[in-house]
Amino acid sequence: MAGEDSNHNTVNPTLSFLDLPDLVLECVLRKLPPSGLLTLSCVCKSLRRSCTSDHIWANHLEQKWGKLISPAAEKEWRTYHSLKDNWRKFEDEPNSGKQKGLMTILMRAFSALWPCSLGRRGNSTVPEQSCLLANDSTMYWYFALQNGRFWFPAQVYNRENGHASFMLSCYDAEVCYDSRTDTFQARYPTHGRRSMPLEVGVTWERVRSPPTEITNLPHDLHASDCLTDLRPGDSIEIQWRRNKEFPYGWWYGVIGHLGSCDHQGSQNLCRCHECDDVALEFNQYSPDSRWRWVRISRRNHREEGNEDDGFYGGIRKLKEEEEISGWKRFWPAELLE
Amino acid sequence: MSSKKKVITLRSSDGEIFEVEEAVALEWLTIKPLVESGCTDAIPLPQVTGNILAKVIEYCKKHIGASESEDRKILYELESWDADFIKVDQGTLFDLIRAADYLTIKTLFEFTCQTVADTIKHKTIEEVRHIFRESNDFTPEEEKEIRGKSWWLQGL
Repeated sequence: MAGEDSNHNTVNPTLSFLDLPDLVLECVLRKLPPSGLLTLSCVCKSLRRSCTSDHIWANHLEQKWGKLISPAAEKEWRTYHSLKDNWRKFEDEPNSGKQKGLMTILMRAFSALWPCSLGRRGNSTVPEQSCLLANDSTMYWYFALQNGRFWFPAQVYNRENGHASFMLSCYDAEVCYDSRTDTFQARYPTHGRRSMPLEVGVTWERVRSPPTEITNLPHDLHASDCLTDLRPGDSIEIQWRRNKEFPYGWWYGVIGHLGSCDHQGSQNLCRCHECDDVALEFNQYSPDSRWRWVRISRRNHREEGNEDDGFYGGIRKLKEEEEISGWKRFWPAELLE
Repeated sequence: MSSKKKVITLRSSDGEIFEVEEAVALEWLTIKPLVESGCTDAIPLPQVTGNILAKVIEYCKKHIGASESEDRKILYELESWDADFIKVDQGTLFDLIRAADYLTIKTLFEFTCQTVADTIKHKTIEEVRHIFRESNDFTPEEEKEIRGKSWWLQGL
């Protein structure tokens, strides 16, 4: 029998895939695309365990979603799965153009959870929790994102497909992936009384994970901690909103020189950084545009503005080159009015 | 014949003797310390048979120096040579993997594991069971459930 010849390790026609050492199996699994792993996970119990383990899927998750999944998105995923018995029902809801805030979604999920926990577990439309795979596994999360079954918080550059009113801005949104077009759908917090249609076809480069230091909700003022550091030439993004009912968006700008500065060409002589006021320039607008330039107080800046010019809120100084070039990709071909 | 290059002697599990250049043997991390210590006896490899060891040596001789080449023509030829080299039955493929694992030959290990992964890609559950001779140990209820979940996960 071939099995008795183990000392000589001859070619063994009955040697199965699972007889390979663990390290080998692990290496093969790591080289499989998600669809291959999923197939293999349905072959037998042992492969089910290996192919659904979180650490195998963590690689795929990181590779595809690592740049977009923020701690906030992860938190929302956990919340979503504290309601996990209800997941199927939630997924079956059609996407309407209607705005669905997180609270609306959660309340709807909660209200549907009650009958579920009161004895609907056996109902064939709601699969029972399987001992073979937990619904909050990394594999589930990967596919929930991949198949657009999970809306997660992100920020979208140039909302409404680059409409001129939103050029070089970035707004909070909930997005979900569409694998057929390799783009995202986005829905934004309500903008006053204006109903917001669902935006489709949002490309990868237009979506970012909210920077970690932004912890405020879209309607709240960001606490600026960089005001005393700002110097001419620095890149920044600043919150701005049309009126106080609207959520803020983040807008790209640079620190300019104050009108009183005579030394714009010489960094050594310029004293703008010592002045109480700081000039913000939005060079994407033409020089005579009212959006081109604004002056704020360095010492006690909070929200400044009026109903005509809108309101300027918190400021972030951009320190990473990657973040700055992320904005510059969207520089308009022509100056805006 | 070049008599200047140092040669290492290896003995397979079935007693076959092989000679390889030192540069090739140094790529096998398991025996590297022995080679570096200047061992002149035949190094026993009790977990690798002669026919597999011959394949391993063939692969490593071809790859030494060539894998790092930046010449696209050389790399293309190597790729096509690899494709021919790995046209082996499944038993041999698994034995090559085990040998690469045992001898710690990174390039061969990665290559053979990739070959197995490529075999699995795009196959159905039944095809994989058939190829790897894995039997289905799910109960009919479990099978139904995991297939249902699998379909759901794939967005079908």
